[in-house]
Amino acid sequence: MSVPIIAARDVSKSFFGNRVLREVSIELRAGRIHALLGENGAGKSTLINLLSGALPPDEGSIEVDGAAVDHFTPSEARRAGVAVVQQELSLTSQLSIGENIGLGAYPIRFGLVDYKALARRTRAACAMVGLDEDLATSVGDLPLGRRQMVEIAKALYREPRALILDEPTSSLSAHETQTLTRLLERLRAQGVAILYISHRLNEVMALCDYVTILKDGAVTADRELAGVDADGLVRLMVGRDPGDLFPKWTPNVEGKTIISVRGFSCGMARDIDLDLRRGEVFGVGGLVGQGQEDLILGLYGARSASARVAEFNGDSGVPDSVLKANALGLAYVPADRKREGLHLIHTISFNMLLPGYGRARGLTFRDRTNERDLARSLAGALSIKGDLTRPVQALSGGNQQKVALAKWMPNKPAIWLLNDPTRGVDVETKREIYGLLRGFAAEGAAVLLSSSDTPELVHLCDRVAVMREGRIVARIEQAELSEEAIVAAAMGANLAERAA
Amino acid sequence: MSDAGATPLFVRRAALFLRSGPFLTVLVVAAVWIVAGLTMAGFGSYGHLRYMLELAAVIGLVAAGQTLVVIGGGIDLSVGAIVTVSAVGVPLLPWDADASGVAAVLAILAGATGIGLLNGLGVAFLRVHPMIMTLAMATFLQGVLIIVAGGSAVSMHNPLVAWLGEARPWGVPAGIVLWVVVSLLTLLILHATPFGARIFALGANPLATSLSGVDVRVTTMAIFAASGLTAGLAGVLMLGMNGQGYVGIGDPYVLASIAAVVLGGTSILGGSGTYAGSIPGSALLVTITALITVVNASPGWRSILFGSLILGLLLLSGRESRRR
Amino acid sequence: MSGSDPVLSPSPLYWPVQRQRNRGVRALFCVVAAFVAIYAYLFPGLLSIGGLSKFCQSWFPLALVSMAQAILMLTGGINLAIGATVSLGAVIAATTMSGPLGAPGAIAAVAFAGLGIGAICGLIVVRLRLPAIIVTLAGSFIIGGMALLVLPRPGGEIPAWFSDFLAGGTPVAALLLALIVLAWKLYLATPLGLSLYAAGENPVAAYRSGVPVDAARIAAYAISGLLSTGAGLYVAAQTGSGDPVIGQAFTLNSIAAAVLGGVGFLGGHGTMRGAIAGSLLLSVMVNVMFFLGFPPVAQYVAQGLIIIGAVALPQIGARGRRA
Repeated sequence: MSVPIIAARDVSKSFFGNRVLREVSIELRAGRIHALLGENGAGKSTLINLLSGALPPDEGSIEVDGAAVDHFTPSEARRAGVAVVQQELSLTSQLSIGENIGLGAYPIRFGLVDYKALARRTRAACAMVGLDEDLATSVGDLPLGRRQMVEIAKALYREPRALILDEPTSSLSAHETQTLTRLLERLRAQGVAILYISHRLNEVMALCDYVTILKDGAVTADRELAGVDADGLVRLMVGRDPGDLFPKWTPNVEGKTIISVRGFSCGMARDIDLDLRRGEVFGVGGLVGQGQEDLILGLYGARSASARVAEFNGDSGVPDSVLKANALGLAYVPADRKREGLHLIHTISFNMLLPGYGRARGLTFRDRTNERDLARSLAGALSIKGDLTRPVQALSGGNQQKVALAKWMPNKPAIWLLNDPTRGVDVETKREIYGLLRGFAAEGAAVLLSSSDTPELVHLCDRVAVMREGRIVARIEQAELSEEAIVAAAMGANLAERAA
Repeated sequence: MSDAGATPLFVRRAALFLRSGPFLTVLVVAAVWIVAGLTMAGFGSYGHLRYMLELAAVIGLVAAGQTLVVIGGGIDLSVGAIVTVSAVGVPLLPWDADASGVAAVLAILAGATGIGLLNGLGVAFLRVHPMIMTLAMATFLQGVLIIVAGGSAVSMHNPLVAWLGEARPWGVPAGIVLWVVVSLLTLLILHATPFGARIFALGANPLATSLSGVDVRVTTMAIFAASGLTAGLAGVLMLGMNGQGYVGIGDPYVLASIAAVVLGGTSILGGSGTYAGSIPGSALLVTITALITVVNASPGWRSILFGSLILGLLLLSGRESRRR
Repeated sequence: MSGSDPVLSPSPLYWPVQRQRNRGVRALFCVVAAFVAIYAYLFPGLLSIGGLSKFCQSWFPLALVSMAQAILMLTGGINLAIGATVSLGAVIAATTMSGPLGAPGAIAAVAFAGLGIGAICGLIVVRLRLPAIIVTLAGSFIIGGMALLVLPRPGGEIPAWFSDFLAGGTPVAALLLALIVLAWKLYLATPLGLSLYAAGENPVAAYRSGVPVDAARIAAYAISGLLSTGAGLYVAAQTGSGDPVIGQAFTLNSIAAAVLGGVGFLGGHGTMRGAIAGSLLLSVMVNVMFFLGFPPVAQYVAQGLIIIGAVALPQIGARGRRA
């Protein structure tokens, strides 16, 4: 068998005395798509950082072409032909697509950036990922999914021998995902070693040849993918049977309508009619960036919106501020929790108590005992373990999302607005969040769930509206819900357009 | 964060306290005082130390509002102009009828708070960056002051202000008493009220704060108004100590207040810090200035020494960790 | 700002990128054009060589410090020492110009001082990870103190021929500005220059992409210092002497011009052409006020109001559209 292009041998890594990786070995071989699976906090990101030279291992070694490298730095990694597509985009919004792709590796002539060569080489990289936008377009003008494709093109531009992709599809549309899949298959045929990280198991099953599974920083499986089924993978990741990812769907008592809007418009979202009832989970599906976010933030009063008729919890008119919306019983859980949901430098309990601080009027004093009890009970209810005076940034992504949810629970919201709450969240936390959402509905709250994860919509929702280009193009009742129905409605016109 | 389970809670608390910015700043001040007191005649005398504390009170008052603004993610570059407005304004107010002088002081304090409120309005509603808003406000006020007061100093005859500058209830200068009261209030507001918690949230992540149901605009206006008020108080106190006010009297307090805040361990990026650090920070600044005066250098050297010492102390008192 | 540029070979990517960048500042360009038109209407003399030269002379130092400020704001920093640095440039020029090395020596000394001071500030900010606002605020005391050491009170001398050459009745200032803009465009076409945006917006990601983040930022500080002392040299030539506190007003005005020009405080947002247009707008406003007979002190008041208004107006406009 050939020598692996890049490999980690028995690497360990600790942060603040906390062992994140224990004697992990992994080999990236030419012409193989290698899946790296594990829950959030299992050590995947750290392993990637070791393989790309961003962090040094405490013990063990990194090998390039079979030879151990002592000080493996990012520049060393680039020379070895390792390129990484990070989960958090590394693009500069003011620069054009071309300038972004070439960043850090510009072709140079007479000391200046050779724009001609740059255009030629970036065009080739863009063609591979199916980016047909003008190369001069500012990246800031692109929707999230296209930016992800630029990020991938940026890695390809470096002509990698080993390509590491950290959750590349989390913000891609189904069409873009397909393009990426074909691209990876082509790269595999050309002999590139690919490491693929994803929370979407069906993608992994369809695409990858080999799998390494991490659980709590240790390898629990390192084998050919053939002969394992999805349930088996999940068992290896979480150490228990995955059958109950979704709570069993049981209809709740049909409640009365709590939000009713006609001709609602906000940003991209146009002319939307919507009735939200107590006791239901109402799903909003569609490709990424079809106006779902504008719809939710508009209902929440965070973006200015208009409607012909609007009734919110007995109050007429769209709330014109977040404060108004909160007073009407609305709560909002964002997709981008680091930006919109949490105060990373503050403690877990501070984050949980913040809406309470917002509600307090006048100059009253804080009741520390009360605060501590409340935070503890919330942490208990959501099984967030450990010291609550740690900053929230010390938590894994899944636990952070739980904090972003927990902070609203003392308000007992009548209406939950959730924008892709499980993006980049591990399976175990997903299961907990699903249980919570059904629980809220069962207690009589109305839940509006926008999601890019179609199974979630199918198994969790009472009704689903599908959005395309800012409008609702389909409404599907529970009985007719299926992934095919949602995807078809979401892509219908788009497929025809792109095919033409 | 390390081996959290092994060490008992009070040991970790104590370690945290010993490493905290406020405590380190107190240590530095104490060390400088002891060394200077032993080596320089007169530096360590009770009278001199008390005088330095009086000067520190002025900086400390300005720094109180500045701390709130900086923790809230802003910065107030108009405090110097507001100090001047109040130091020049009290004598200019034609209120001879009120023998006690209370009315004039209250009017000026209301005015200073109003100026701060305007800053807050600009930042919160017009979304002008705090640095621009307060710099522009300072420029504006400077123009108004020159038109109103001209270039000459104005003497005051206000009994209340004079009392504030000279009285020593129980042997402690009234200015220091005022500082202690304002300090306690600031610390209480910052650490024991929901309003204080909102300031910390605002500075760490304004978007998430507003989406969490905090009235960001009101909070912003309140902290800038508080900064105006404390700068106004400082101006009144300074007028009392000086006996007269002139245009430019408040200028040094922009840098001094920001330096006191940052030396005290409050993050200039907002979201974390405490006024408990700004208090020794103010004392430290006064001490530096006193030392430089003792050295008896030319204005140029004094300025260089002052800037270098602040930079050096910043390096000592800990660097801003990378945060994004 | 993006006229023909002979040094760069025509390329299928360079010019479209430039057009994209212009798109963001088009509205600003219209406002600037309108103000210049008003000024020309009030003061028809502007449209002569002499009038234009005079105007460019009053604009030139502000344009330089605005560039100095903008380049740092692009990297996510800020420079509150610009005023002091301008003063230092002015006093160095006024004391060395009549020395043994004459004008070339003075220019070299000014340039060296600017680059050196900027680089030191940059090193402190970047290597020691101190916040830029504090370092430059403390730096303004140190640099201002150095200016006082060089020249304790207004004085020194700039030879008359030098003043005439730079600030006489000829459009030398306009030519110089064009040259400086061209040099900036060249710098932005180097890998280090283009890295500024990435280093400002997302330094960690830029570092991982192989961008020399630290070098780009330190170079930005050095260039900022050079532009500031250069502005000081020009101010000294205008007044014929040096003054250790002449630069003070430039700190606020440079920030105001950059912000008017759409440069953001968080790094990576804005364009140099915007900042230059912002400085032009500011100087036209000041000139119009002067022309309308505002006393100098009232100009302070008006300037404060205009800056707030200009920054806030787009916000109010946006709200009006939404409602």
